[in-house]
Amino acid sequence: MNRRTAHRWLRVLRTPMGRTAAALVLVVLVLAVVGPAPWNARADAVDTANILAGPSAQHWAGTDNLGRDIAFRVLEATRLSVGLALAATAIGVVAGLLLGTAPWLLGRRLGRLVTGAVQIAIAFPGLLLALFFAVVFGVGATGAALAIGLAGAPTFARLVQTLLAGVAARDFVAAARIAGVGRLRILVRHLLPNIAEPLVVNATIGAGGALLAFAGLSFLGLGVQAPSYDWGRLLYDGIGVLYVNPAAAIAPALAVLVAGLALNLLGESVAKGFGMDALVGLPASASPSPAAAAGPAQPAAERPADDAPDDVVLDVRDLTVSFPAAAGPIRPVRGVTFSIRRGEAVGVVGESGSGKSLTALAVSRLVDAAGRVDADRLHLLGTDLREGDSAAQRRLLGSSLAMVFQDPASSFNPTQRIGRQLAETSRHHHGLGRRAAFARAVDRLRAVRITDPDRRARQYPHEFSGGMRQRAMIGMGLMGSPALIVADEPTTALDVTVQRQVLDLLTAIRTSDAVALLLISHDVAVVSEVCDRVLVMYAGRIVEDLPTDRLTTGALHPYTRALTAAVPRMDSPLDRPLPVIPGRPVDPADVPPGCAYAARCPLASQRCRDEDPPLARHPSGHRVACWHARPEPAHAEAVRPASVVEAS
Amino acid sequence: MSELLFEDVTVRYGRLTAVDGVTLRVPAGGVLGLVGESGSGKSTLARAAVGLVPPAGGRILLDGEPVRAHGRHRPLQMVFQDPYSSLDPRMTIGETITEAIPPGMSRAQRRTEVARLLELVHLDPGRASAYPGQLSGGQRQRVALARAIAGRPRVVIADEITSALDVSIQGAILNLVRELQRELGLSILFISHNLAVVRYVADHVAIMLRGRVVEQGPAARVLSEPGHEYTRALLDAVPGHRLTARSAT
Repeated sequence: MNRRTAHRWLRVLRTPMGRTAAALVLVVLVLAVVGPAPWNARADAVDTANILAGPSAQHWAGTDNLGRDIAFRVLEATRLSVGLALAATAIGVVAGLLLGTAPWLLGRRLGRLVTGAVQIAIAFPGLLLALFFAVVFGVGATGAALAIGLAGAPTFARLVQTLLAGVAARDFVAAARIAGVGRLRILVRHLLPNIAEPLVVNATIGAGGALLAFAGLSFLGLGVQAPSYDWGRLLYDGIGVLYVNPAAAIAPALAVLVAGLALNLLGESVAKGFGMDALVGLPASASPSPAAAAGPAQPAAERPADDAPDDVVLDVRDLTVSFPAAAGPIRPVRGVTFSIRRGEAVGVVGESGSGKSLTALAVSRLVDAAGRVDADRLHLLGTDLREGDSAAQRRLLGSSLAMVFQDPASSFNPTQRIGRQLAETSRHHHGLGRRAAFARAVDRLRAVRITDPDRRARQYPHEFSGGMRQRAMIGMGLMGSPALIVADEPTTALDVTVQRQVLDLLTAIRTSDAVALLLISHDVAVVSEVCDRVLVMYAGRIVEDLPTDRLTTGALHPYTRALTAAVPRMDSPLDRPLPVIPGRPVDPADVPPGCAYAARCPLASQRCRDEDPPLARHPSGHRVACWHARPEPAHAEAVRPASVVEAS
Repeated sequence: MSELLFEDVTVRYGRLTAVDGVTLRVPAGGVLGLVGESGSGKSTLARAAVGLVPPAGGRILLDGEPVRAHGRHRPLQMVFQDPYSSLDPRMTIGETITEAIPPGMSRAQRRTEVARLLELVHLDPGRASAYPGQLSGGQRQRVALARAIAGRPRVVIADEITSALDVSIQGAILNLVRELQRELGLSILFISHNLAVVRYVADHVAIMLRGRVVEQGPAARVLSEPGHEYTRALLDAVPGHRLTARSAT
């Protein structure tokens, strides 16, 4: 178990439910292991003078038909009840593991046979199987344990199969096979450790189920036989005298309830603790405040649209996105200021973690609930997007802003036809009727150059190729009359030839309808194809804002120059290594004082390490945040070789 | 140094013919760049070579002998596209690399070997005990390269190894591939959809379209005088034309 796993178990124990459930399970287990000794004698002590007595100070739950103390008998029965439940679970888990892993070990043909058998077994209700096995193995504790265990095996086997199939498809398994590692070894080393957690959780919940099933079988007389007794058996005895002494039935019932509940709750809270992994690093105590809060200096509704020049589509000032974390908030976006004019194409480039995607999400108000978006100004077409979530704001975002994501495969609902998904936008935001909306969808598909749009609109997303899905996604954005398209790595998942088509399409839409474009990419080359202006981001800040045609010759920031030089081109010299950027990008949780790029920068001086350079207007016209930005482009060219460190 | 030869190889998935009678040669000690769009069959061809999918027809020969796809020591190793999925998250990178080292070494020898391999890919040997989750994408891809070399392969297949990485890291991995190829005299089948990337590492190029090879030859010739229409389309699609055009003037 590595540290992360240990950490997750600890996290389970930190929740109130997890702690309670764990404590209860511990009590039950301790009772089962050490419990019986002191009570053994009293539980079996026959007292004929005191038969079928009600609860009293001496006998808390009364006595049975031989005058034996029921409370002690219930405690005494803990060992057998829990022991049998665990034994049944163990049988189920082992049988399930064998059946579940068999397809992997046996190869395709035999494996399919096993899978089929398991599926047939699953079709039978568990209790029916248990009753069947109980008859086969004979009435008694052993038979019941085998019955309940084997009845649980098919479900467990299927879980194992499903989880295995998921992990087995990963490349590291293929890599191990290519390295010549045998199937059994791969199973033990790679597959089982990666599915262990859900299996443990399931086995825990299964143990609770087995406990209940056992009580049921014993109660029906198919489980533990006298003179042995478990909780189910005691319940059976107690029901008979229910009108004489209700406590005789209630006491074992309570025991079953508590133990069963403890195991189930523990399983559930473990499952929850592990499932919460998506939110790693965000402690539950942090208050999830949605996008809100303006700078104190500028009340929200202060400035109407006419303050900005008429053709500004998006105006962002001092945008910050932060996420709560144990060691204080992490700020992946730290004060970003830019604006986009009507019909302008602006690219945002940077490495992973530079905050470029979060900037886009903040503009579209899609930062998830844990994140906090602050800005001095965040205006789309003159409307303040910072506060509130009014219908008007939603309509504005829905019709004036189009969003295109990286993965076209996951941005459509696979169960609905493309045309209907496009039409939904129009019906929702523009109140069009069903037929009119569909006609518009077909028209928009045509606009994004999808051939035979009438037929295509009636198809499902899986019938579209990746490039076509991405075009349909853009078409969806065009259902309204957007003033701004925000495209986050729209071509990263596509082939070069398809990438070219999508970029051409974006350019065409932009020029024909004067739609502004905010294109986010890690690839300077892609951005330079489409955009007029490029914002270079590093560690959550814009470090340079320059016209695209200055990228190769007039860039002033050493990072911009390094980023441009790192792209392999059709004319890069083949006899030299490609230029690379040394070091690693900054971790948003640990941003150094001074210029964030200083550690990787060949020009860095003491001032760079101490003082963060502001993004300032440069004599050449564009904005740059660097203490070493030279006024003359020629000068910049002179330092260029030094800024690009040759590969080791 | 070994030569890998695909001779009229066909691979089918059910009714779909993914690779259709492909003949290709990875020259001994050379790099063959295989270019094509997704679905063109280039990755399937790679998987057939390492025995992950059985070919329906044709032969795959290593120095004239059929490739062994069973047993402990495999002469072909592969590096995958996604370094986040190709390393077992539960194993340290040292364990991952050790697993690929051919048997017959003592524990101490294996440890030295892991350190040597990590140094070869420019990672700190002290990080052998790190888990993949603690490494960046570029570092993981270096580990994947180290694992491939650990098996002492005669041919390495690199399947889109830089397309999941940031452009800023891509260059470093490409440099590393070139360096390893020269130092170890490896024969490499280098698969990519980006011609600018392939041009940088490969001396021969083959272009695949819908399961067939439509053009192949020396990289310099294919990229400067493309013979097939599709090759020209690929060349046109390389991003950065504006960058290139401007720096050329």
